[in-house]
Amino acid sequence: MAIQFEFISSDAITGKSSEERISLIMKSVRKDKILVLEEPLTPAEEKLLIMKTMTAITREFPGIEVCSLGQTGSDLRSRVIKLLGGKTSGLTVVGPSNLVHQIKRDPHKLRFMAGK
Amino acid sequence: MPFQGLFKWLLGFFRGRKTFSLGIYGNVNTGKSTLANRISMDWTGEAMSKVSEIPHETREVIKKERVSIRVDGKELTINLLDMPGIATKVDYHEFVDYGMSKDDAQQRAKEATKGVIEAIKWLEHVDIALVVMDACLDPYTQVNITILGNLEARNIPVIIVANKIDKKSAKPERIRAAFPQHHVVEVSALKGDNVNKLYEEIVKRAR
Ligand SMILES: Nc1nc2c(ncn2[C@@H]2O[C@H](COP(=O)(O)OP(=O)(O)O)[C@@H](O)[C@H]2O)c(=O)[nH]1
Ligand SMILES: [Mg+2]
Repeated sequence: MAIQFEFISSDAITGKSSEERISLIMKSVRKDKILVLEEPLTPAEEKLLIMKTMTAITREFPGIEVCSLGQTGSDLRSRVIKLLGGKTSGLTVVGPSNLVHQIKRDPHKLRFMAGK
Repeated sequence: MPFQGLFKWLLGFFRGRKTFSLGIYGNVNTGKSTLANRISMDWTGEAMSKVSEIPHETREVIKKERVSIRVDGKELTINLLDMPGIATKVDYHEFVDYGMSKDDAQQRAKEATKGVIEAIKWLEHVDIALVVMDACLDPYTQVNITILGNLEARNIPVIIVANKIDKKSAKPERIRAAFPQHHVVEVSALKGDNVNKLYEEIVKRAR
């Protein structure tokens, strides 16, 4: 089986609310896609993503694997950068857990195992 | 400054009436319920939660109210909240592998997903959080990072508990290296090793 990746630029998500971002992610993940977001999710968005995932779990859909790098969250620096229309660096990878088996990380690197 | 003392006194007065909610958070199977029982036993003589090697044994928030901890003459009364473990996936097959029937496993999975949501909802309502990690495993998981990130964003005091240090493969130093901005206390919830240090930290931080 071929594995589909989708890269989503930060331009595509900056105008969106957290709710919209999460439902966009859920839609793709439910279609067996692995998403790479150029802008990492905030901890609050990840919380929301986990809650949405929990309500979506069925026998066929056991959940997700998610990993964010360079999450600066709500600190002043990243808020100011965003306010000025700039990008904070980092990314989020998310996919269905029946495809993405494990994501290993360290502060600067991310490696994941995928396949059916 | 004369007012500082008064201010402190007033603060203490109001706080004195309030009991703190202490939430025990972490990935599944890190020993949250074992730790909850240890704390509860030490200060009330009663256990509070069920412990199991099977993940998602705790599927709703277990509360033990008005537990008084006393350290160096200081007393702190807390409501202990043993949280369901937080996970990004719940696969019922895992429970079948532990010998559960398919129906039971699916029921457990359903309850587990509700438990995760309940635990996450509580994140903004606790006054202090213990984030329990299994010192034998890689601490740098997204669940740990998400829990800590949300607590930090709300300025909720956090103590990381590096648990299971009685095990040979425990490497609590990895936890310290992964989260240098936090205070880490190494314990064995099972054996009770070093829990006194944890009580000291709880009393110190709950203000
Ligand atoms: N060796 C060791 N095992 C522990 C310790 N704490 C918990 N466990 C074991 O880890 C498993 C999960 O414990 P539990 O408290 O139910 O974890 P929870 O899912 O985080 O609530 C059980 O088999 C416990 O006996 C510890 O300090 N040392
Ligand atoms: Mg438990």
